[in-house]
Amino acid sequence: MNGGRLLLALALLFGAAPARAQPSEDSVKAAFLPRFARYVAWPPPAAPAPGAPFQLCLIGRDPFGRLLDRAASSELIDGHNVAVRRLASAGQARGCHLAFVQGVAGTDTARLLLALRGQPVLTVTDARAGPQRGMIHFTIVGGRVRFFIDDAAAAERGLVISSRLLALAAGVRQRR
Amino acid sequence: MRRLVRLQERWSSAPYAIVATVALLLLAGIGIILQNEAAYRDLQAQETRVQADILSASVTAALDFGDRQAAQEAVDTVRVNRQIRAIGVYDQAGALIAGYGRDGAGPPPRFVEPLPPAGNAVTATVPVISRSARIGTVFLAADPEPLSRRLTRYLVIGLLVVMAALVVGVLGLGQSALRRVNRILAERAEALVRANAELKVQVGERTKAEDQLRQAHKMQALGQLTGGIAHDFNNLLTVIQGSADMLRRPALADDKRLRYADAVVQASARAAALTGQLLAFARRQPLRPEIIEVNDLIRGMTDLLDRTLGERIEVKTRLSADACAVEADRAQLESALLNIAVNARDAMPDGGVLTIRTAGLEEAHAGRMVALSVSDSGSGMDEDTLSRAFEPFFTTKATGKGTGLGLSQVYGFASQSGGDVRIDSSPGEGTTVTLLLPCSGLAGRQRQDEEELAGPERRRSGRILLVEDNEEVGEFAETLLGELGHKVTRVRSGEAALRAALDEGFDAVFTDVVMPGMSGLELADRLAELRPQLPVILTTGYSDEIARSGPGGRPVILKPYRLETLAAAIDQSLGRKDQ
Repeated sequence: MNGGRLLLALALLFGAAPARAQPSEDSVKAAFLPRFARYVAWPPPAAPAPGAPFQLCLIGRDPFGRLLDRAASSELIDGHNVAVRRLASAGQARGCHLAFVQGVAGTDTARLLLALRGQPVLTVTDARAGPQRGMIHFTIVGGRVRFFIDDAAAAERGLVISSRLLALAAGVRQRR
Repeated sequence: MRRLVRLQERWSSAPYAIVATVALLLLAGIGIILQNEAAYRDLQAQETRVQADILSASVTAALDFGDRQAAQEAVDTVRVNRQIRAIGVYDQAGALIAGYGRDGAGPPPRFVEPLPPAGNAVTATVPVISRSARIGTVFLAADPEPLSRRLTRYLVIGLLVVMAALVVGVLGLGQSALRRVNRILAERAEALVRANAELKVQVGERTKAEDQLRQAHKMQALGQLTGGIAHDFNNLLTVIQGSADMLRRPALADDKRLRYADAVVQASARAAALTGQLLAFARRQPLRPEIIEVNDLIRGMTDLLDRTLGERIEVKTRLSADACAVEADRAQLESALLNIAVNARDAMPDGGVLTIRTAGLEEAHAGRMVALSVSDSGSGMDEDTLSRAFEPFFTTKATGKGTGLGLSQVYGFASQSGGDVRIDSSPGEGTTVTLLLPCSGLAGRQRQDEEELAGPERRRSGRILLVEDNEEVGEFAETLLGELGHKVTRVRSGEAALRAALDEGFDAVFTDVVMPGMSGLELADRLAELRPQLPVILTTGYSDEIARSGPGGRPVILKPYRLETLAAAIDQSLGRKDQ
């Protein structure tokens, strides 16, 4: 993790890489977030209605700011625009398809995740914020942003994660 | 012929057809190979594209999340295919994310459309689409199949084409040989036709020549015959005429008159025998078969033979008890024996022995037969004479001495009686003529018949209707019948006879057979209907009609007839009518 930061710092320091600028960790994560939706199928009642936007919710702390808004605006998933909602608590999470969950304190994340249980929401957490894991859990491996996938938890909510995405994961908790 | 020519015409265009066929075959073979090649390239392009598609699908997520390692893993799974030369996975900006290059030939470092041609490689460029957005590009370059492999594949087609061409070529060779043979055949057929025509002409000429020769032979034979007959007849006529002249002389002594009359009778009998021989030769004389004991007949003839053959010939008989009776015409058999005996005599001018033998024998096909052989101790015959002995008019005797009909009569009689004649002879060894006749099962009847015929003399007189168209014969017959005490009415045709028979009552009709208009047989038939009780006696020198259909049970008196014969026949008829 420290190596990763160091690399990232180095990348930031010598930003002018010969080929192209090295993107920041947050911007990478912000770009990844809406893209996850491409590889996940929601159960029919939870899927967005025709014409309705795809809802990407940020619950708790927002580490991305405008980075996420920019990434979401350029995304079009099966004809649905991506709407970003920033929520303070899990109680307002109805209608969310994908939720980046990050509590202010480490235990908050666990509480928020618990609140979302029972809802068909793809939960994403970040290892930076704590060990509590959602269905997708960002991490840094070899200086690159990678993620773990808890396919078993997704299956419990009726979500189906594409094998292509599973293939990219740094680790997968297989469904039973 | 015409068919042959047409066949040849049709076949003459065959070599061009064969060359064209071979060329077509080769063209078709090349076409198939080219088409196959194109199809194969298409297929390979398609395969490459499919692989690119698969790769594109499997790197979508890796591109989406910028995961070079995952992209490289996907690339590595594809490069297992040894034919793939280079692989490139590019992101949206055209930068190489993952790639592979065999033998130093890597993918282009950046993706810029269009890509430079990659030599002879089969290439495919496929966009990577994620949720309908293009997020990158996959480039794939594959080796075409090596030339050697392609050649082996096309070798099969090539071989087939070459074989087909070979077959056609061999056919062509065979055809040209056939054509040559056909031409020779046609020439030969033509030659044959010509030869045949030539032959026909020659045969025609030969036939004509043969006809002329045959005609000449016939004329020659006729000359011989006429000569012989004329000579014999003239001799006989001389006797008859002389005797008649002598008979006319007044105050002739009774014994002399009787001698002259006998001479006339004998000469006439010989003349009758001569005409009989002629008819027998022509095999048209109606046979009157009766049962004859051959041994008895020979015994009865020995006196006659002694007298006929003269003193210098000694006649011996060796008669076998096995000799059976035969059914034959007595006069003809006697005549045949006499003819053979006379020939024997002529073969022994200085005298000798004539032996007559009889023997019974069993012939394989004909059953029991009697062999009647006459042997002489004379000069015999050479091969040539022997081979012509039965030929009519053939004679070794001087002109006028023989008619050449003797053995012909023998042969005609034998074959007509169902028998055969054989001659054994060689020069200096004498001659044996054997007459073979089939045995008859009806022995001994003949004697009885004879007795009946020669029964007690019962002279009857009656009214006789004489039908005769010939004036002399008619007058003679009328005189004879008158002498016999009958009352005679003479008419000259069948029609007149029919009228007379209806008008008047007659006791018998004595009619000639051969007459102009109604024949004697027709007359007899009509009378049988109108006057069934009226007996009809037929007379003829020779009649086709009687020879063909027989006299229909009526008595026939053959001309020339003797007074006794006529008297007996008339008597018998009148007697039958009286009964």
